[in-house]
Amino acid sequence: MMLRLITVIAALSALAAGLAFANAYPEAPIVYDKPVRGVIFSHKVHMEKGLSCEMCHNRLFEMKAKKSQDNKDFVMESLYQGKYCGACHNGTLAFASNTRCATCHIGVKGEERLKNGGKTEKKSH
Amino acid sequence: MNNMDFNKLQNEGVENVPMQERRDFLKMGLAITGIFAGGTLLSAVSTFNKANAAEFAKKYPYSPHYSMVMHQDRCIDCERCMEACVATNHVPNVHGAYRTTILEKETPDAVGGKREFIPVLCNQCNLPQCTRVCPTKATYKDKTNGIVMMDIKKCIGCLTCQEGCPYNARYFNEHKKAVDKCNFCIDTRISKGEKDTACAHACPAGVRIFGDLSKQDSDVFKTVHQIEKAVWVLRPEAGTRPNVFYTKG
Repeated sequence: MMLRLITVIAALSALAAGLAFANAYPEAPIVYDKPVRGVIFSHKVHMEKGLSCEMCHNRLFEMKAKKSQDNKDFVMESLYQGKYCGACHNGTLAFASNTRCATCHIGVKGEERLKNGGKTEKKSH
Repeated sequence: MNNMDFNKLQNEGVENVPMQERRDFLKMGLAITGIFAGGTLLSAVSTFNKANAAEFAKKYPYSPHYSMVMHQDRCIDCERCMEACVATNHVPNVHGAYRTTILEKETPDAVGGKREFIPVLCNQCNLPQCTRVCPTKATYKDKTNGIVMMDIKKCIGCLTCQEGCPYNARYFNEHKKAVDKCNFCIDTRISKGEKDTACAHACPAGVRIFGDLSKQDSDVFKTVHQIEKAVWVLRPEAGTRPNVFYTKG
């Protein structure tokens, strides 16, 4: 009986937590580093376009950030076939995955700029 | 001056025109094409729509004539090329030391994509400034393949070549105690039978295409000589006839 009650409470609190955070998302952009470095995803940009969490989670992406990059098929070819970002970035819903490369691929320079708070560390003279 | 026959004047070449003067002319939309009569006369042409690669690619004096074509819009600054170059050619990990690097250009007002990455390396120019200004002939054009080489035993580290290079493609290597630069991996890969440079080999996006411009069936020749897509070189006004070409798509 006691065990059952605990389970119910746990389930309820989990639900409440889920509701409370329904529209919360990580503010900081996520920067993938595999298979290539410096690929940005911004929750903010996508939420401001009016997308909701469940449009991507967990159908295309798990909640855990950068989990997808552990998959072997997390490559551009998969996107062209409609997987991952390619589900929307197909030229119809959003710009096609094989265009505007440097929009998401901010590169090692972009990655370092994010780390340094907006400043590019000049490598060359 | 009164009886000067302009048709008989010899072009003395643009190599000695100071960079500042060329820039001043470029700001007026003119590229200096020649100096005559000991520098008292200049010839210039409009720079409008002049970024045409064909004039740089008329003749290929070397065989093989090594060249690289950059598909610029494919570059994502993953910097695998730079890592591969460092590992292959033992480039020291110090500030400002590189044989190849990637420049970034942002255009915030652009429609669509707003960022471009531009990979750069030695352009292995047909008329290099660096070899011209080197006081000890430590840097020279290879007579067979046209690669701009370094003889580090002759280099005195005066860095005049760095000043002369319009592409910022040279650095002083503290280990070698000499200037170091890209040589298209001639010693580390090409002479060992590899078909491409370390940077081209490492690129996951097919940005860098390495090949022989003197062969008409090579990818570099086909890209440079087609007219459907624009092909250009960096800093054409320097007049050095570079062998690194840029295109998109």
